[in-house]
Amino acid sequence: MIKTIGLHKHFGKLHVLKGVDEEIHKGEVVSVIGPSGSGKSTFLRCLNLLEVPTGGQIIFEGVDITDKAVNINLHRQKMGMVFQQFNVFPHLSVMENITLAPTTLGKKSQSEARELGLMLLERVGLKDKAAEYPKRLSGGQKQRLAIVRALAMEPDVMLFDEPTSALDPEMVGEVLEVIRSLVEGGMTTIIVTHEMGFAKEVSDRVLFMDEGIIAESGPPAQLFGNPQNPRTQEFLSKVLH
Amino acid sequence: MLATILNVATRFWPLFLKGLQVTLLYSAATVFFGTILGAVICFLRMAKIKLLRFVATAYIEIIRGTPLLLQLYFFYFGLPKMLGMDIHQNVSILLALIINSSGYVAEIIRSGIQAVDSGQTEAARSLGLNGSQTMLKIVLPQAVKNILPSLANEFVMVIKETSLVSTFFGGDLMSQYKTISGALYLTIEPLVLVGMIYFVVTFTLSKLVALYERRLAASD
Repeated sequence: MIKTIGLHKHFGKLHVLKGVDEEIHKGEVVSVIGPSGSGKSTFLRCLNLLEVPTGGQIIFEGVDITDKAVNINLHRQKMGMVFQQFNVFPHLSVMENITLAPTTLGKKSQSEARELGLMLLERVGLKDKAAEYPKRLSGGQKQRLAIVRALAMEPDVMLFDEPTSALDPEMVGEVLEVIRSLVEGGMTTIIVTHEMGFAKEVSDRVLFMDEGIIAESGPPAQLFGNPQNPRTQEFLSKVLH
Repeated sequence: MLATILNVATRFWPLFLKGLQVTLLYSAATVFFGTILGAVICFLRMAKIKLLRFVATAYIEIIRGTPLLLQLYFFYFGLPKMLGMDIHQNVSILLALIINSSGYVAEIIRSGIQAVDSGQTEAARSLGLNGSQTMLKIVLPQAVKNILPSLANEFVMVIKETSLVSTFFGGDLMSQYKTISGALYLTIEPLVLVGMIYFVVTFTLSKLVALYERRLAASD
């Protein structure tokens, strides 16, 4: 579904991605782990071109989206993204946050979008907050709203960029719960995370990134239980106690 | 001296009032049209095309890098010459004020837009919104909150700056001071009066802006 070929990203002199070749299949749940500065967030942000790669290709559903002639906005509609800092729209109500994109982009009428919005809000336990503004929501509720906002575009793949890293500890669970139910529903998911337990539990495959490359990749049982690469071993020995 | 001040005030208050009216009129027109022009300049300044960006940046830098008095002279004497026709002095003066203000307003709008968290843009773009949809629906509505108080402060600044118009006897409050002080051979007493009027107006407006800002902050 998403394939990267020789992906490179430079920030000025800083070489962040040094050739990433990876393929994520439909229905697959892939976690990306690794030390900070390893390029895992940059990798994720390249997938929907929030960061424009300086080299290589990204093939999404058969289209090379790094091609300048491609209208990236159309392809982004198929890739939902959830950010560490939630980035909910503070000047819009919860419902407006959800319906803005589908209605603006002509995907849905106002009433269809509201209907879908209410259904999704119910699924994440926020139905009674539809008329509230984000400032009245807790961090966990904001992140659940951000997930619903992305889902309202009915994407083919969901990208999560450290979705629980900015949350108070007691709110991590509720957000992971939502992601878990999404994954169980068969959504193709790529999640950059520091929650090793969660990655182990929900992933079909785990990518370990280090210094701009995917240093090791495998099913969670193998990558966590019997890592081959010494850098993976070193990293895991630090984060797993 | 106090007696003289009171005497001047009672005798000439209609002139002071007329001057204040003209000052406020100049200021309001300056900020109103300056905001419209400033918004246009700001969008050129942030345009994708390099040449537009360069022209807008040069415009802003020249306006902010030269004195308003110089600009007033330039329009007062230069504009009729360049156009080869008579232009009412008030038109030249107002044009100079508007163009001057637009340079500052353009930067106010730009910083208001840039103060909106870049995560907002990223979230909107990640949903598939294009650049202008993102600007219109996500960034601008939030930027307005940053821009409005600064615009109100710009208005207060302009009220004081229009006093330079008195160089050409533009009919503003400071021009009335010149008239009255010339007629009475008094320099300090009418000056104190005019100063008090400026102060009361700008101080009141500043306090209103501060109040408004507090209410905005509370609604966040």
